[in-house]
Amino acid sequence: MIQDSLTRIWLLSKKNITLYIKKGPVLIFGLMFPFFMTLSWVIGRKISLNLVFIGIIAMTSFFTATAISPVVLPIETREKSLERILSSPISLNEILIGIILASTLYSLFITSIITIIFVLIFSVGFNSLITIFLMFFGIGLMSILGSLLGLLVAANPTDMTSDVMIIMNLIKFPLLFISGIFVPLQMMPFNLVFISFLSPITFLTDLLRFCVEGNNFFLVQFDILMLIFWIISLSIVNYILHKKTMPKRLSETASKKKMMMKKNMR
Amino acid sequence: MIEISQNQNLITELVAIKVINLIKRFGSLVAVNDVSFEINQGEIVGILGPNGAGKTTTIRLLTGVFQLENNAKIEIFGDDITHNPTKYKKNFGIVPEISNAFSDYSVWQNLMFSGGIYGISKDEIEKRSKKLLTQFNLIDKMYFKTKTLSKGLKQRLNLCLALLHDPPILILDEPTSGLDPISVNLMRNRILKLKEEGKTILITTHDMREAQNMCDRILIMNKGKIIADESPDTLREQFKSTSTILFKIDGVISSEQERILSKIVKLVKDKNGYYVFSSTNALRDISNLFQTSKENDIKISDLKIKETSLEEVFIHLIKDDLTSEEGMAK
Ligand SMILES: Nc1ncnc2c1ncn2[C@@H]1O[C@H](COP(=O)(O)OP(=O)(O)OP(=O)(O)O)[C@@H](O)[C@H]1O
Ligand SMILES: [Mg+2]
Repeated sequence: MIQDSLTRIWLLSKKNITLYIKKGPVLIFGLMFPFFMTLSWVIGRKISLNLVFIGIIAMTSFFTATAISPVVLPIETREKSLERILSSPISLNEILIGIILASTLYSLFITSIITIIFVLIFSVGFNSLITIFLMFFGIGLMSILGSLLGLLVAANPTDMTSDVMIIMNLIKFPLLFISGIFVPLQMMPFNLVFISFLSPITFLTDLLRFCVEGNNFFLVQFDILMLIFWIISLSIVNYILHKKTMPKRLSETASKKKMMMKKNMR
Repeated sequence: MIEISQNQNLITELVAIKVINLIKRFGSLVAVNDVSFEINQGEIVGILGPNGAGKTTTIRLLTGVFQLENNAKIEIFGDDITHNPTKYKKNFGIVPEISNAFSDYSVWQNLMFSGGIYGISKDEIEKRSKKLLTQFNLIDKMYFKTKTLSKGLKQRLNLCLALLHDPPILILDEPTSGLDPISVNLMRNRILKLKEEGKTILITTHDMREAQNMCDRILIMNKGKIIADESPDTLREQFKSTSTILFKIDGVISSEQERILSKIVKLVKDKNGYYVFSSTNALRDISNLFQTSKENDIKISDLKIKETSLEEVFIHLIKDDLTSEEGMAK
């Protein structure tokens, strides 16, 4: 039973990676954005290598994780392959976990490559072996968290990737700017620290600062706890919303369009 | 109600699909309106209906693509699957109206994916896939992306995908529409062969002849409702007394003559210049027609009587359905 379920989840995530990794929105928002954001942030400014490293890793893991998970369901709704999935013996949980797993693996893969490149070229140092492990643990948590956030946006039963990507970006950029990536928490006025609490990226950044600089703001345990708290809450909300909208995907989008067409005709 | 449940015990083994009170609304449109039917094991049943009748929607409700509303209920081989459909979906092999295989996956990748989802071992999937692809002449397209296949080839792939896990029930939504005549024949023969192998088959079509030749039973659907549920023979039998009469008139008739004629028959002209009307009492109507013509100097030059085809039964039923509705609206 569980074996079969795992097989299905694995097949679904393999499918999600192979089919959607090359899609325009995934490339643009997953790879190009963090790259150019970093460039525009770093160029012409005197930022310590460690801070740049932390910023890049935090941004990359967050951006790549939120790239695939929002587009899978809209694309499959439009291409009707969702009809095939819904009429196959696949449960809602398996569909959702299949998306999360694909998105997480993609994010982990890209972020790891960038981390390794950075460590090799710029020889960023770590405090100890444990901090390396802790860093990848943090990246892993952020990959899952970002994937869940992306999937949440896709609970809107639309068949247009642009619909979800607009909302995704509306959420993504504020979360990035209020996090401690660009301005370290130590330098923030107190009420801004409070706002930065609202962004999960804050806790990853803080965790990474512990790993690289040993210069963190919160307790490491607290950072991890907050990331896990976000993951659990997002999982629950995702399940509730998708349970509601999944059966509507194939009927609602079409009827909405028809209604719009009718309006246009009048 | 009591009667039904008593019968149920006797026939559960034989009933492959039983749906009760299916309803699907899209906004104010009721696409499927209180549909109930049963399909016995080993039967081929056709759902016949015009565009927009609700055939595809019925299938989507049955296969779990749409959620069931109200007190709808579905039983597969006697098990109530209304609240736990996922597990029972293995019983279905579905060929959708429009291909829904993954378009960026190759034919082979689609088969491997689908087989895995249905819990078949890798070796077994490969073995079965090769056999199916050979059988359906797709083997040389094996590594082509699905989106590059023509409509007919996609249709064949979808049938391969439906058969891969060897399900007892096949659900085919217009499997022959858009195929060339040779492929249509091939497809029909394959479907009939599947019936011989003991599969239960539900098929939708607009093609009366297809329904007539292939199905054990025909459900005629119109505007979300099932308006007839009979064997092709019974369906025709019901209308045997109805025949279509065609006649031609020499020369032109005056409007006065036309008025007189239209008192006995509804005058509709077909493209060959024949007046056509359907009659439940051919003898009476024809003798009436001749008598009136003679009295009014109308020369009938040709007369044909045709037995009602299933196509006409279909049109007739749907027309009846419309007129009774209009009557109700008034
Ligand atoms: N997703 C949807 N949203 C809104 N209306 C829909 C949707 N799907 C179907 N309908 C409407 O429901 C009715 C029944 O559609 P359905 O596709 O079941 O017809 P059908 O009998 O399969 O027709 P066809 O022979 O053309 O395939 C139609 O009026 C159709 O416009
Ligand atoms: Mg249809």
